[in-house]
Amino acid sequence: MQQLEPLIARCRDLVEDLDLANVKAWKAAHPRGIAIGYLPIYAPREIVHAAGGLPVGVVGAGEELEIVRGDACFQSYICHLPRSVIELALTGRLDVLEGMIFPSTCDVIRNLSGIWKLSFPGKWTHYLDLPQNFEPEMGGVFYRRILHEMYAELCAMTGLAPDTECLRASVRLFNENRRLVGDLYAARAAEPWKFGAKDSYLVLRAGLVLPVEEHTTVLREYIQLCKARDVRPLDNARIALRGAFCEQPPLALIQTLERAGCYVVEDDFLPMLRWPSADVSEQGDPLDALVTSWLATPCEAASRFVKDGSEKGCTLVDSTREAKAEGVIFATPSFCDPALLDRPMLQAALQRSGIAFTSFKYAENTGQMQPIREQAGTFADSIKLWGEA
Amino acid sequence: MLLTAGIDVGSNAVKAVVLEETSAAPRILGRGKLKVRGGELDEVVRAAFELALASANVRESELAYIATTGEGENVPFRTGHFYSMTCHARGGLHLVPDALAALDVGALHGKVIRMDPRGKVLGYRMTSQCASGSGQFLENITRYLGISLEEIGPLSQRGAHPEAVSSVCAVLAETDVINMVSRGISVPDILKGIHLSMAGRLLRLVRSAGAEGRVVVTGGLAADTGLLAAMAESAGELGIALDLVAQPDSAYAGAIGAGIWGAYRQRKLTASAGSA
Repeated sequence: MQQLEPLIARCRDLVEDLDLANVKAWKAAHPRGIAIGYLPIYAPREIVHAAGGLPVGVVGAGEELEIVRGDACFQSYICHLPRSVIELALTGRLDVLEGMIFPSTCDVIRNLSGIWKLSFPGKWTHYLDLPQNFEPEMGGVFYRRILHEMYAELCAMTGLAPDTECLRASVRLFNENRRLVGDLYAARAAEPWKFGAKDSYLVLRAGLVLPVEEHTTVLREYIQLCKARDVRPLDNARIALRGAFCEQPPLALIQTLERAGCYVVEDDFLPMLRWPSADVSEQGDPLDALVTSWLATPCEAASRFVKDGSEKGCTLVDSTREAKAEGVIFATPSFCDPALLDRPMLQAALQRSGIAFTSFKYAENTGQMQPIREQAGTFADSIKLWGEA
Repeated sequence: MLLTAGIDVGSNAVKAVVLEETSAAPRILGRGKLKVRGGELDEVVRAAFELALASANVRESELAYIATTGEGENVPFRTGHFYSMTCHARGGLHLVPDALAALDVGALHGKVIRMDPRGKVLGYRMTSQCASGSGQFLENITRYLGISLEEIGPLSQRGAHPEAVSSVCAVLAETDVINMVSRGISVPDILKGIHLSMAGRLLRLVRSAGAEGRVVVTGGLAADTGLLAAMAESAGELGIALDLVAQPDSAYAGAIGAGIWGAYRQRKLTASAGSA
């Protein structure tokens, strides 16, 4: 087992490497393999893996990349993520990817898929129309057809034949990975002083570019190493963070929240690593199992339709309580319609439950943290001094 | 007997106090204050803390809670950190129990904080990033004028014909002062002009925060009698009903507030652990 510091440093290197050297190395070691990118918030990574591919999460370029050409494609009232994705692609950094999956997260990602198709006509591009009808006979049938086609197309690219056992093995691997992601969240909620929010984020985000088998090992080691740490708890406020499920915050923002006296014990960063909320069945037809998992065991997300409006926010209240968070910070990317439209409903649910909250906006390249520091600091104080606990 | 420490890490100086909780108001047992002066911040913080412990004759292990504020978020031996406004409000209230607001004038910023009788922050206003209403600006000026910080207040109050200084920008204000020196303006008149300029800026802040009545002045500049006199004079001219009060411990207000909140948190945590 490696030591904690080098493990985190390696994850940080992976996260900050916009040239995807790790993906290139994987391809060099797997000559028939393909690398398939996917955007937030959910993609069936099992299908890509079973077809002999490496699923690669693309969540923007953070604060490191200057946007030159990306701005030409999107209006000023559009979030930052599509600009940096286009910038990455037009500067050749995503050339290593044979294809790209654009899930139906929002209009912006749909438009991004169109721009992508125009810009890279030779690349395999799949707009993943995730059904919002959750009846097995309707949305289920539709979704199974999509998954079936996607699997066949990807297999055609690698030369492998679609194979049920192979897909089941992939389902098993991703189930194991998701269980460890869940273990990490649970361990961090139990002893947040041992699991830094920023470090945990880096370890999780490394899973966007690492093969699932390797990421599972990294997660297991990280949890063990953190649990064994001898760290003194601080009198911090325990907070849950919501709204950062697509465009990711700069690392400095997570660090700022920690420094402002907050233990982040629950968040919605990188939902693709936690979706679905329960194991995909390893019995029966794995395509059917993936369909059922989308229909029946979702994560709460702004991009997923909820028929009964009164249910909106219930999962947030439950997860906040389960993680013993004392308040919720809504950290939302500027111009993120799904998150900003959802926020009033979520806030109403928190208000009904007597859970304190505050909110601010960011962009992936936000550099000025002082206002966020002040807001998070005063929020932490108000929880500690005027809250119940 | 609950002992706590409060450490206020400012951009110019680190202030530390050791407090004893009593049935009445908390009692200050010891104080420590050191300038940062470009040294290793961690070492300055530790040294100021040790000074406070020594003057209180208390060992670190006897402290139930070590609270930091200001830039003290990374002090490794802290128990918890509180935001500076929260601490100046509570510390100000300790120094002047009937204060309705605190005017914190530190090295970099001026802040007006309105609070309720429990020390809960009700609202605040803060100067912008420009440092012309702050202690750092004043310290720079003393270097141009060749005087010590302690001389500023008494000299300023002798100024009979104050010269107007830019109240918008520290760089422009410093240029104004250099020009005044070369024009032969007396030091008291220059200082009085600077104080009136700062007073105008701070009073605008007070007004925009909706603060009135008794206001406790906290932070390093609370000791500047020239500034307080200029503020009282300007408030009278502007018709702002203000009773500005500074105390000898005003520079420690942030640290005192942190220590008091630390004791409060310790009691709360003990109670919640007991009921669990």
